[in-house]
Amino acid sequence: MIKIKDLEKIYRTEEVETVALNKLSFSVNDGEFVAVMGPSGCGKSTLLNILGLLDDPDSGSFIFNGIEVAHFNERKRADLRKRNIGFVFQSFNLIDELTVFENVELPLIYLGVKADERKKRVEEVLDKVQIMHRKNHYPQQLSGGQQQRVAVARAVVNNPKLILADEPTGNLDSSNGNEVMQMLMELNEQGTTIIMVTHSEHDARYSHRIIRMLDGQTVTENILV
Amino acid sequence: MFKNYLKTTFRSLWKNKGYSFLNIFGLSIGIACAALIFLWVENELTWNHSFSNRDNLYLVKDQQAYDGTIFTFDATPGVLAPSVKAEIPGIKRTTRSTWGNPELFSLGDKAIYESGNYVDSSFLKMFQLQFLEGNAANAFTQLYSLVISEKMAKKFFQSTDVIGKTLKMNNQRDYVISGVIKDLPENVSFKFDWLAPFQIFLNQNDWLQKWGNNGIITYVETEPNANIAAINKKLYGYVQTKEKGANAKLSIYPMNRWRMYNSFDNNGKEREGQLKFVNLFSLIAWIILIIACINFMNLSTARSEQRAREVGVRKVLGAGKNKLVAQFIGEALFLALLATFFAVLIIYISLPAFNSLVEKQLSLDIFNPLHLGGLLLIALLCGLIAGSYPAFYLSSFNPVKVLKGLKIQSGGSAGFIRKGLVVLQFAVSIILIISTVIIYRQIQHVKGRDLGYNRDGLIYTTLTGKMKENFGVIKNDLMQTGLVQNATLSSQSVLQLGNNTGDFTWPGKDPNKQLLITVDNVSPEFIPTTGMQLKAGRNFYEDIKTDSSNVIINESLAKSIGNKNIIGSIIQRHNEKGELYNMTIIGVIKNFIYNDMYAPAAPLILFSDTSYVNYLTLRLKPNADMKPVMAKIESIVKSDNPGYPVEFNFVDTDFNQLFKTEALIGELASVFAILAIFISCLGLFGLAAYTAERRTKEIGIRKVLGASAKGLAGLLSKDFLKLVTISCFIALPLAWWIMYSWLETFAYRIKIDWIIFLVAAILAIVIALLTVSFQAIKAAIANPVESLRSE
Repeated sequence: MIKIKDLEKIYRTEEVETVALNKLSFSVNDGEFVAVMGPSGCGKSTLLNILGLLDDPDSGSFIFNGIEVAHFNERKRADLRKRNIGFVFQSFNLIDELTVFENVELPLIYLGVKADERKKRVEEVLDKVQIMHRKNHYPQQLSGGQQQRVAVARAVVNNPKLILADEPTGNLDSSNGNEVMQMLMELNEQGTTIIMVTHSEHDARYSHRIIRMLDGQTVTENILV
Repeated sequence: MFKNYLKTTFRSLWKNKGYSFLNIFGLSIGIACAALIFLWVENELTWNHSFSNRDNLYLVKDQQAYDGTIFTFDATPGVLAPSVKAEIPGIKRTTRSTWGNPELFSLGDKAIYESGNYVDSSFLKMFQLQFLEGNAANAFTQLYSLVISEKMAKKFFQSTDVIGKTLKMNNQRDYVISGVIKDLPENVSFKFDWLAPFQIFLNQNDWLQKWGNNGIITYVETEPNANIAAINKKLYGYVQTKEKGANAKLSIYPMNRWRMYNSFDNNGKEREGQLKFVNLFSLIAWIILIIACINFMNLSTARSEQRAREVGVRKVLGAGKNKLVAQFIGEALFLALLATFFAVLIIYISLPAFNSLVEKQLSLDIFNPLHLGGLLLIALLCGLIAGSYPAFYLSSFNPVKVLKGLKIQSGGSAGFIRKGLVVLQFAVSIILIISTVIIYRQIQHVKGRDLGYNRDGLIYTTLTGKMKENFGVIKNDLMQTGLVQNATLSSQSVLQLGNNTGDFTWPGKDPNKQLLITVDNVSPEFIPTTGMQLKAGRNFYEDIKTDSSNVIINESLAKSIGNKNIIGSIIQRHNEKGELYNMTIIGVIKNFIYNDMYAPAAPLILFSDTSYVNYLTLRLKPNADMKPVMAKIESIVKSDNPGYPVEFNFVDTDFNQLFKTEALIGELASVFAILAIFISCLGLFGLAAYTAERRTKEIGIRKVLGASAKGLAGLLSKDFLKLVTISCFIALPLAWWIMYSWLETFAYRIKIDWIIFLVAAILAIVIALLTVSFQAIKAAIANPVESLRSE
């Protein structure tokens, strides 16, 4: 599904040049669950942003589902992203002014799905993550674990081929964290490719493969049994 | 999608109630002010629009050249109207009209002065007056008939069903009411409550038959598609074909220009009349709207950090930049609509006060498509203007950065624009403050001008009944009260003298040069009553007959004559037979100011002659309590002249009325200055709060390291004060230039004092300081533990 080759990303300010990704190459197959680990500043988040089509590399190749997307413009990236990718963030990133239902509905609105179809799919997915009973509540009224469940629901409501998770349990206690990881695993078993950035060895064990990064490059790749 | 945006908008507004209030309130005030001004503008621009035939209606203008100056009058010969109708092709109808005289009408015990005109019957048709009773065709069949307004009918009869009833005019003769017309709206060039046949006036004034005498107004209705240039070509030398030596050059002036223009310079060239105020006030309306929009922009972008995360998330979920721009502009439009709704409420509440200020009867009718359309247009413009910058700014956020929680840089171009907008707001406010002060000072300067006589304690009334004949008795009775120092008769009031002629000549006068000289017929007490000063010679003798061939002139005329031995010299004019006759100059008075309070005194000549006088003027002895004095005087005059209600006017009150327009501009400038400052402060308040919030962590750290509350308050206020100081540097030269140009239009004017600028600048800085200090002090005394923990 994903093939990156010699990917480079450099951040430049007036005085400092930081090489975030240094000719990075790897690939991810359909249905894989990959964890990306490494110390702070190693380039994991930069990698995730590029994989999520939120940012573009300075050089290198990025083939997504057979299409070279490395130098797509913002509109094309947005279009590809909304149809194929779901995001789960460490800080949930729900919109405070919208209810649980409305937050989860948002990707479908941007896809142009009609109202009754949206209702059906949102309720289905809320049910799946067991948060349906709070669908009219606002994020501020939910616990951290509940918010992350809503975020997961939002990420999957458009049936993405790929889910990108950036430290999904970083703001959760262990019990809630396990719940979220369990959900991700179930999604993966159903066929969704997952790439997860994490500091947690415990969470990484839910994946099939761990890629470790340092200074913008892969250092090791471990396949888990 | 739209529902989603609407929900977000509502909830975001509710979440930030304070800022939402500042935003909406500031915009509502701006929209309300602009709308009130535009209502005034609408009233002015639709002046005379109730006359559907106005494209074919004209006023005859009479231009006369004297001594290098072209004077433009509305006074025309009494024989002009029928003559041009018969002789000039393209003219369909003409009518004559007098100037609008108050006459006494009585019915039983009721006696009231009403203003009206003597007009030809064609007037009724030309101006398509709407008859509630009677009709235009038959209204003037009888000579002593009267067409009255609805208002006048109700005043006397409490009904409009009054055809055939009579009213006595001036206690002399009954007039039969032959028609009742609907009251004209306020925004028309005519103010009459009665109309009577012009023939009556013609019968009483033989001089109207002469081509050389200009004394009444002539209106012309042209055929549709008439060649106006051809008509004017024929009119230009028309009077000269009837009377060889006549000075008047005629032309027709369109009704559509009577309000906005109808002002002429010394070269006879048309210039802006009311239009300059329409333009000025429209400009002010737009400026206030822009200030309000600037507020909106500033507050929206300042609060952008709160929306940053939402923008990031929406972008991640697939919203393109265009969708986000549309969302935020939609929000701005919604806010603008909400603000417009509140503005409408503000307008309804403030309309009575505004109407009283501008002396009109303006009203807002939201069912009037023009008004509704106008309000929606203002809302749309405000929403688009105010919303566009924040929309583009917000939608350009990088989702990667905002979702990471990185602070949006408030410096760079966004901060620069925000600061620029604050500078602009305050610059406009400072200019308005300075303008207010200078306008006020100019008015006070002119009001304080020495008019050449003492206007305090000088009162006058129009002569009625037998006041002229009984003047001696009236004067004695008044002086015996001990309340009156002196009394005099004159043909015109001391402030407005409209009779003039170029007919005078004197030995040594250049026959090619004509001088327009104002003429006043007075009783001998005129100079001592008014308090004018004789610079040379003597006053008129008490016995009028003794001075029947003597005149007194003013300094301006004496200068024009240029004779060192002016007293005793001869001045001449033509009599009715066309023969030159001599008069002797027996005195020269110090110039007194009349008509144009800003101009130097025009040449003037006084005759001791009470044959044609219209005013009784009294010099009162100084007295603290005017009310009983006036009551006593009025009762004496009434008893000596029974049957006529008496009303005296104070010359100094009338004098103040002459500056009505300038005073109105001054008042409006001060209101707008206050509003502009208020709206700017609203914005500054919001920005200061935002800045304090942004720097919470920094303030917490500084406090921990030992900074005092005073020092911190100063730190936070410093940046804003810098901005206001920059505003001063921009505003002061601009204000100087604007005011200098305005003052140049007055011959009599103040010099601009630099103190005004200093005071305005200090005032602006103090106001800004007070506005931001609340937020600055609040932030400075906050507990640093809280500020650091929240980060």
